[in-house]
Amino acid sequence: MIKAKNSMGLIFFPAFDWAISPTHPEREERLLYTQDQLKEEGIFDIDGLMEFKPDIATEEDVMRCHFCFPDVATVTTESHMISAGGAIKAARIVMDGTVDKSFALVRPPGHHAMKSVHGNRGFCNINNEAIMIEYIRDHYGTRKIAVVDTDCHHGDGSQDIYWNDPDVLYISIHQDGRTLYPGSGHVNELGGPNAVGKTINIPLPPETCDEGFLYAIDEIVLPILSDFKPEIIVNSAGQDNHYTDPITNMNFSAQGYALLNEKLNPDIAVLEGGYSIQGALPYVNLGIILAMAGVDYSHVREPDYNKSSLRQDPRISDYIKKLKDVVLQAYHNPPEYDDLPPYGQFMTRKKNIFYDTDGIRETQIESIMRCKECSGLYSLETYSTVCSLSLGIEFPIGACKSCIKEGVKLLNSAKKSGKYNTIQVIDRVKKEYYRA
Amino acid sequence: MAASDLYLGLDVGGTHTDAVLIGDKGIVSHYKAVTEHTNLLLSVRRAIEEITRDVDRKKIRRINLSTTLSTNAIVEDKLEDVCVIISSGPGIDPDNFRIGKSFNLIEGSIDHRGKEVKGIDAKAVAGIGSDAVKKKIKTFAAVTKFSTRNPDHENQIAEKIRSSSDFITLGHKLSGQLSFPRRIVTAYFNSAVWRLYNSFADAIAGGLDELGISAEVNVLKADGGTMPFAFSRDIPVESILSGPAASVMGIAALCDITQDCVMLDIGGTTTDIAVFADGVPLIENEGISLQSYPTLVRALKTRSIGVGGDSVIRVKGKAITVGPDRKGPAMAAGGNEPTLVDALNSLKIISYMDTGASAAGIAAMAKKAGLSAAKLAGGAFDCAVERIREEVQAMIDGINNRPVYTIHEMLEGKKIIPRKVYVMGGPAKAFREKLAGAFGVETVLPENYDVANAIGAALAKTTIEIELYADTGRGELIIPNIGVRRKIASAYTVKDAERDAKKHLASHLKEVGAVSSEADTEIIESSSFNMVDGYYTAGRDIRVKCQIKPGVIKRLS
Repeated sequence: MIKAKNSMGLIFFPAFDWAISPTHPEREERLLYTQDQLKEEGIFDIDGLMEFKPDIATEEDVMRCHFCFPDVATVTTESHMISAGGAIKAARIVMDGTVDKSFALVRPPGHHAMKSVHGNRGFCNINNEAIMIEYIRDHYGTRKIAVVDTDCHHGDGSQDIYWNDPDVLYISIHQDGRTLYPGSGHVNELGGPNAVGKTINIPLPPETCDEGFLYAIDEIVLPILSDFKPEIIVNSAGQDNHYTDPITNMNFSAQGYALLNEKLNPDIAVLEGGYSIQGALPYVNLGIILAMAGVDYSHVREPDYNKSSLRQDPRISDYIKKLKDVVLQAYHNPPEYDDLPPYGQFMTRKKNIFYDTDGIRETQIESIMRCKECSGLYSLETYSTVCSLSLGIEFPIGACKSCIKEGVKLLNSAKKSGKYNTIQVIDRVKKEYYRA
Repeated sequence: MAASDLYLGLDVGGTHTDAVLIGDKGIVSHYKAVTEHTNLLLSVRRAIEEITRDVDRKKIRRINLSTTLSTNAIVEDKLEDVCVIISSGPGIDPDNFRIGKSFNLIEGSIDHRGKEVKGIDAKAVAGIGSDAVKKKIKTFAAVTKFSTRNPDHENQIAEKIRSSSDFITLGHKLSGQLSFPRRIVTAYFNSAVWRLYNSFADAIAGGLDELGISAEVNVLKADGGTMPFAFSRDIPVESILSGPAASVMGIAALCDITQDCVMLDIGGTTTDIAVFADGVPLIENEGISLQSYPTLVRALKTRSIGVGGDSVIRVKGKAITVGPDRKGPAMAAGGNEPTLVDALNSLKIISYMDTGASAAGIAAMAKKAGLSAAKLAGGAFDCAVERIREEVQAMIDGINNRPVYTIHEMLEGKKIIPRKVYVMGGPAKAFREKLAGAFGVETVLPENYDVANAIGAALAKTTIEIELYADTGRGELIIPNIGVRRKIASAYTVKDAERDAKKHLASHLKEVGAVSSEADTEIIESSSFNMVDGYYTAGRDIRVKCQIKPGVIKRLS
C-alpha cells in the first residue's frame, strides 16, 4: 500500500447540477473526468489520504468577508455555499490537526469575486479562499496568511478583498493582463496605503512553459514567502495555465504543476479555474494531490505530452529574469502613494466593475482610513445596474478606538440619511456581521 | 415459497458452524458445532447431514452457504501462484501495485473516456505467457487501467495466453467500479483461490448428490446477498468475508428495523459491529479490505474488534484490560488463562461449563493483583463494555465525517444517531443490560439470536450491482461485469440507459439461474452530462448504476 508522507484531506464537491450555461466552460461536466481519474488511480486508498464531506457555509461566513447586495441569498446558490463550505472544511481539518494538508476540489470557483458582490463575474460569485481565510482568522486567531494564486487569470477578486490588509500577503502568478481577462494584475498593483507591498503580481508572458513558472516560484515567490513568514500558505490552485486549456495561452504541464506544488508546499489548496477538462484536469489534479501528499508523481503525465514542443522561448526566459528584479524591488521597497491624506482621514478611490458573466455594471467609491494604530476603517459606497446606492462598513480585525468611533458615527449618519438601499456592516472586533 | 419448501442456511464461521432449516412456519431445526479448521468440507457435510436427518431432503428448495474457505486461503497465504499482467498508462507508478510472485507490466494505455492512447505490446504478452508455462503457472490475471470503460486490452491479453492457461481473471468482469489498484488485487485473489474453491465446490456438489439433495445452491457474499453456485465458480473472490454480513441479514430477518441502530455480534474472539441508517444497513462504498488490501468486493460496513467471550484478561498496575487477543478457550472450557467468560461465570451472570474453574482462575489472578475477585471480574466486564462503546462511537464518528452510503443511496447531510442496539452472539444475553446502560438506548436481544447468522444466510436474496456507461459521442454502451457491450444511437438518453440497465440485468440473472427478477432491480445512481468539444456539444456521457439490493426473502418476526 502507498503511504503519504503528509497526511492529507480531500474535499470533493463537483457540483454536478450547477452550470453557467450548457456549453459554458464552467459547466456540470468540469470535474467529472478528474473524479474518474482519481477513482481509477485509487487515490483514497493511499494510506494517509482521506476524503471529507464539505461543510455548508453559513450566511455569517459569507458576510464576514463580503458585502453582498442586496443580500447573500440573492447572489448565491446552494452550490456556492457548499463550494465555500468545502474550502472551510479544508481549513478546519488542517487547523484542528486532523491532517497535515488539504485540497478542496470544489466548484463553482471564487477568485474573481470581490469584496462587494452584485452577481457573477469571471465565473465567480463568492470568494471561496477569502471566506475560508476569514473563517480561520475568526476561529483560530491566526494572523499572517499568504495566498499564492496560480490560476492563469489574475485573481482580481482576492486582490480586491486583501488590498488594504497588511496581514494577508496576496501573490498572483498569471498570464499578463494585457493579453487575458480580467486585464488587471500588473506589477505596480501593490496594495492600499496601509498594506502597500502586500499585494504582489507576477504577470507572465503568453506561452510561458514549466521552466518559467518554476523559475518564478524559486526566484520570486519563495524568497518573498520566506521574508513574510506566513503562519499558513494557501494555494489558489487554478489549472488553466495548462498547454491544452481552451481559453488561455500558457504552456504549463501536469508535471510542472506537481513540481510547483512541491516547491510551494502549501497547507491548503483550493481549486480555481481550469477548463481543459479532459486533457489536463485529470492529470493536473492527480499531480497536485500526489505532490501535496508527498507521494511519487513521476509517472503522471498527459497522454499527448511532448516535451520538445513545450520548450520555452529564450526571450520569455529573459523577460521573466528581468521581471524578477522589478517584482522583488516592489516587494522590498514599495513606492509610497504620492497623494496620501494625513493620518485620521480617508483615502478614497473610485472603481467601475463589470460583471462579465451577468452583464452587471457596478460603480464603487471605496474609502480607507489612514491609520497608525490599525489597518484602518473601511467603507464602500456602491450602486449597480441591479442594485441602487448601498453602503458597506468594515471595522477591521484589531480596529483602534478612533476607527471604531469614526465607524459608528459613519453608520449612524448613513442610517439617518435614508439614502442607502442596503447598509451592511462587517464588525471584526465584535465578530458581528449584519444588515443595518 | 410453496408451503412445504425448506430453506437451509449454513454459516461456516471461524469458531462455529451454524445451520438452520426454515420452513413456512419458521425455524424447523438448528445446528451448531465447532468448525473443523483443517477440513471445512467436513464441517459443511456434517452440518447438512445432521440438520436434514429428520426431514424429507427432496423438500429442500434452496441451500445458502457462507464459508470462510477463500478468506482463510488468503489470510493464511495458501494461494496458488498467479501470473499477473498489467498495463497502466499515465498515473501513479504501477510498480506500487506489485502483487504475487509473477507481476508483469506491459505497454499500453486507455484514457478515462475509454479511448485507446497506445496499443498493448502483444509480443511481450506472448513472452510472459511462455515464461509462465516454464514456471508451471497455470492461472492468470489481466488488468488494464480504465478497462471498465474499454476492455479491449484485457480481452487481447486473454486471447494471447488462453492456450497456456487453466483460468484467467479479467479485471473488467469483477465490477464496473473504477479503481485500478483494487481491480489488480481483486483479480489476483480471484485467480489465486480459483482452483481451491472449485475443488471445494465439486466436493459439495458431489456430497449433495449423495444425500439426495437437488436444491439450488447459493453462496453468500459480504454484501449480505448471495450468488448462484455455478456463477460463483468464476468469481470465488466474491465469497470472502461473508460471515458478518450473514449476521446483519439475520438481524434484518428477526427484527423489524426502521431507525438508526447498531448491531453487535459478540463472538468468542471478536465483536462485529454494523450500523443501520433508517433501518438500512450501511455499505462499504468502495469494497472491503482483506489483509489490508482494499478490494472491489462489495460489502456491508462492519467493524471487528478484539473483544469476545474468550478475550484474555490482564491486570497491569491498577488497570484491568480485556483482549484484544485470545489465548485459547476460557478456563471454564479447559483453558489456562482467565477470560471474559470466566469473569462472567465468577460474577454468576452466566453459568457456562465448569464454573468452578472460572471462579478459581479469577480468584487466583485477583489475589496476585491485590484485588477482590468481584472487583477483578466486574472490572473486566466494565472494560469490555467500555471498549465496545468506544469503538461503536469511533465508527459512527467516522461515518458521520465522511460521505455516507447505504445499500440504497448516498445520504446527504445525514448524521447517524443510534436509537437501538441489537445484540447477538454467544455471550449476548449477559451483556444486554450493561450495554443498555452504556449506550443509553433500548438494547434488544432478538429471539434465536444465537443462530441469527445462519438465519441470515438462509433467507438472503441474490444480489448484484452493475454500472452502465454510455458515450453517445462515440456511440458505445458498456456494462463490464455482465459482458454487455454494444453500439448506441446518438439520440440515446439516460431514460433509455435506465431501461437497458434493468433489462440487461434481468436477462443476466435469468442466465445464471438467480432467484431474483427484474422487479427486484433498482436504479441507484443515474446521470447524464453534456459533453462539449470546443463550444459545441459532442454527445452525452451517461452513467447508470443498477442493483438488486441485499434483503431477506421473508421476515421471521
